[in-house]
Amino acid sequence: MFAQTDWFGGPALAVLPPLLGFLAVWWLMPRAEAWPRSAGALLGLAALASGGLTLFQPGTAMVQNLLFGFFALVAIGAAVLMITNRNPLYSALWFVVVTLCVCGLFLLRSAPFLAAASAIVYAGAIIVTFLFLIMLAQQAVGVAAYDQRARQPLAATLLGFLVLGGLLCALRPWVTETAANRSAATSETAAATSASRSQAILRAGVSPDPSAVRHSDATGGLTPAARQAPLRGSPLSQRGDQPVGTVRGLGRSLFGDYLYAVELAGTLLMVASIGAIAIALRTPQGKR
Amino acid sequence: MMAELHNYLGVGAVLFVLGAIGFLTRRNLILMTLSAELMLQGVTLNLVAFSYLHENYQGQAFAVFIVAVAACEAGVALALFVALYRRKRTLDAGAWRELAEEGLDSGRGVEEPPVAPRLPVHPEFPRLTPAGRVPEVPKRRAERRV
Repeated sequence: MFAQTDWFGGPALAVLPPLLGFLAVWWLMPRAEAWPRSAGALLGLAALASGGLTLFQPGTAMVQNLLFGFFALVAIGAAVLMITNRNPLYSALWFVVVTLCVCGLFLLRSAPFLAAASAIVYAGAIIVTFLFLIMLAQQAVGVAAYDQRARQPLAATLLGFLVLGGLLCALRPWVTETAANRSAATSETAAATSASRSQAILRAGVSPDPSAVRHSDATGGLTPAARQAPLRGSPLSQRGDQPVGTVRGLGRSLFGDYLYAVELAGTLLMVASIGAIAIALRTPQGKR
Repeated sequence: MMAELHNYLGVGAVLFVLGAIGFLTRRNLILMTLSAELMLQGVTLNLVAFSYLHENYQGQAFAVFIVAVAACEAGVALALFVALYRRKRTLDAGAWRELAEEGLDSGRGVEEPPVAPRLPVHPEFPRLTPAGRVPEVPKRRAERRV
């Protein structure tokens, strides 16, 4: 809490992790000639460490913070290894690691059904079928030439990290606002907090005043007042006394609010499976 | 607790960008598809974080649909790759460069790299998938086998 604002405000630590990450990813890209990859690994570790320092918040919910840091850093590192590995088999296996870490992040955000579903679908189904095809292709030629050299590594990495820098810069006002809110909330009295909260509820609920909307946007929607704002949605998915994130609630929402969308998704799955079978058939029907 | 939102958004952004870089640089069709899935993971993480922030299920429901669509996409992509592989015996995206529009300089930066000569394979050996370094047999056992 003490130095959070300064760290993010200081340009060095906001720029350093993306810069180090850019150098690491560019260095690790597959090339034709042999090159020392350990330097890239060191750069990547430095980038992860500095990024972790920036992300780390001492304060409450230490276990959650530690779990979040672990899952986030492992996911990012595995993603880098996935896109830079020369062997597509290893890339696919690193993608499994990324998926499982993202599932851990889902669990931290109280989405257990989504965690289970994406673990089954991604790590279970998609990767296994892709591994079959990779092995089929590698049986013929081994690690192919097209996997040993990246296409335009410098330009693509530079472009990607410019986009990342833009996204992180867009997030930065939120971070500083949040830190300011947190320090303000500790000094504020409870009565003042509840008064401002009810005021904000009135403002957000009654008047669609653009200035009020902008106010809640400027604080990033992160204040307790914004959290208490009335939610849109049908009564089926309204939160009762139970906490958010139960499978029961998600099921009610899916089969209540989104019933037609669920039916459409089922139809889409069936059409896609029919199309896949039709495309992959060795001999087209009637041409035998 | 609430303050962690930007952390999740940041991780989602990093995963999205890494997926984009992988999609642009890799030449293997399967890895390009997996990179696209990585981008979807980043977006899904954003949706779940916002769902937690607003304490409703809209984001999670949207994420469930993303998973369903990703499964469809992977199935159709796999079927396409099997069909393409049967034609040209390669998973190189550059092998299908002639499908690009005429006049585009689509061949830039994708010239074939010089490939190290492959070791001749003994015809009687079983042809396994090379998934790593060849293990080194200890000297003693090798002598005994001879």
